[in-house]
Amino acid sequence: MKCFSRYLPYIFRPANTILSSSCHTEADIISTVEFNHTGELLATGDKGGRVVIFQREQESKNQIHRRGEYNVYSTFQSHEPEFDYLKSLEIEEKINKIRWLPQQNAAYFLLSTNDKTVKLWKVSERDKRPEGYNLKDEEGRLRDPATITTLRVPVLRPMDLMVEATPRRVFANAHTYHINSISVNSDYETYMSADDLRINLWNFEITNQSFNIVDIKPANMEELTEVITAAEFHPHHCNTFVYSSSKGTIRLCDMRASALCDRHTKFFEEPEDPSNRSFFSEIISSISDVKFSHSGRYIMTRDYLTVKVWDLNMENRPIETYQVHDYLRSKLCSLYENDCIFDKFECVWNGSDSVIMTGSYNNFFRMFDRNTKRDVTLEASRENSKPRAILKPRKVCVGGKRRKDEISVDSLDFSKKILHTAWHPSENIIAVAATNNLYIFQDKVN
Amino acid sequence: MEVQKEAQRIMTLSVWKMYHSRMQRGGLRLHRSLQLSLVMRSARELYLSAKVEALEPEVSLPPACPSDLRLHPPREVESTVETATADGEQPSPEPMDTQEAPTAEEIPAYSAPRPAKVSRKRRSSSLRDGGDAGLVPSKKARLEEKEEEEGLSSEVADRLQPPPAQAEGAFPNLARVLQRRFSGLLNCSPAAPPTAPPACEAKPACRPADSMLNVLVRTVVAF
Repeated sequence: MKCFSRYLPYIFRPANTILSSSCHTEADIISTVEFNHTGELLATGDKGGRVVIFQREQESKNQIHRRGEYNVYSTFQSHEPEFDYLKSLEIEEKINKIRWLPQQNAAYFLLSTNDKTVKLWKVSERDKRPEGYNLKDEEGRLRDPATITTLRVPVLRPMDLMVEATPRRVFANAHTYHINSISVNSDYETYMSADDLRINLWNFEITNQSFNIVDIKPANMEELTEVITAAEFHPHHCNTFVYSSSKGTIRLCDMRASALCDRHTKFFEEPEDPSNRSFFSEIISSISDVKFSHSGRYIMTRDYLTVKVWDLNMENRPIETYQVHDYLRSKLCSLYENDCIFDKFECVWNGSDSVIMTGSYNNFFRMFDRNTKRDVTLEASRENSKPRAILKPRKVCVGGKRRKDEISVDSLDFSKKILHTAWHPSENIIAVAATNNLYIFQDKVN
Repeated sequence: MEVQKEAQRIMTLSVWKMYHSRMQRGGLRLHRSLQLSLVMRSARELYLSAKVEALEPEVSLPPACPSDLRLHPPREVESTVETATADGEQPSPEPMDTQEAPTAEEIPAYSAPRPAKVSRKRRSSSLRDGGDAGLVPSKKARLEEKEEEEGLSSEVADRLQPPPAQAEGAFPNLARVLQRRFSGLLNCSPAAPPTAPPACEAKPACRPADSMLNVLVRTVVAF
């Protein structure tokens, strides 16, 4: 068996934490995954509007060789189904995105959004409670003042750890279309939310108004040719952000140039290869995700078949293009019929920006090492994962004789898709969402 | 022929998906609707070019590849459609899996035709800007659908318009564009046919294309 440790700086061992239910409903389908800035916490959102936060346990002296596992830290209902009576539209409770704020005190803050409303949640611990009130008894009932003969000072006594999540801000009624992205600015005071046609800038303290910074809605909707698909702030420059479109283009905007950033500062577009032109070219060129590298020098985009890395200093073409599952190019018609062609895959950088990862079908996910140009296909499945074993690379047979461990294109299960993945900010720990299951993989410990 | 059938199938499938997407939770998805309309437009252009090829085999056009349904330049299509006759091959009966939707309450903005008569009813501001009409159920849905059909029929007699610019938006008036494409094929007289479905009243020369037009009229209604 090929040893991929030579080609990638690490090899992964199967999950030590898998969360799933044997019979799941559509509400359990994970719709977003995000590590916080330290990697201590991992948040997931699902179609039922719930947020589940996992915390990495502290490494104990007894188990030096065992890395900290992720256990459930908090669960709360972030969004509920709503109904817009004015437009007679149901608003889904599905969590589209979660973004963490950097930790500034003992509490954790995160933004979660559905199609219409963004909420700021505070997640805090309570491990002490006050006891010895004068006017209330231990159950909280008011005491008869006539029975109070002495005064005492309430004291804090330890209690079982309780993690509570409270909504601190609700940013609503600012989006006519469906929110697809939120991004926290590096100034930690503002963030943006993007829908199909507009991007709004918010201040965390102000919920009743926001600034519209991008508006691509045409005067006549019949002239609409593209929509915004993703947006993100630059990791270091608080004035810079990018947004991608359904036409496969990326625009970088500078908020210092004007209040309304309809005019881009940079425009990234790769000329279409005429030989690849097909009936569904326009659909597969739509960018589903855009991410800045941690360095801020590069941006990565994901369309249906490829992942591309762009240098901010070069607009006319990407510097790197990786084929995720090119064997699907001849199957686009079938994928259109079963709606898979509309799937929106995400992509992530590792902490050092040397490896990129994205998902595929059949619960496969792919990693590309930018330095060695090697790639690997791994599978997130319980059947193939045994404790302490090493994840075996998978291969899709595109034609000809199929080898023993290969899987043919026609055998791929298109209902098992990995759309959402996350990479720990500094360590080689990845979180992979496969429908309603969450897999957490760590690199091999020597 | 294969390409033609495939293009028709894709068109029908796209319209069904569009209709179905309006029933999904969360309402109409703009991005999805845009993508579906792009596919439908491509399929329509491919269908036309394939039809023209079948009718005018001596015209040199790049051959259509049935396996991947490559697009043909629309300008060439337009130049040949003008000279095309409607007595081409009989199109095979198409599966009528598009459903007439008399109860359809919503009309997306991109398919909303310009009403023949200005509605006297006052509408909300969100409708006024024209952008969100697709997200709001229209109480005049039935009336507008009927107007669509009337508009469709009245345009049958129009001579072919010059081909639209390549940068034409993805949401042209569906009825208008479809009709524009097929008016040359129908080769009807300047006298406008009655407002009833054209298939019933068209001249015998139009018969071969009637079934396709029927399908498209139904798809527009279903929209």
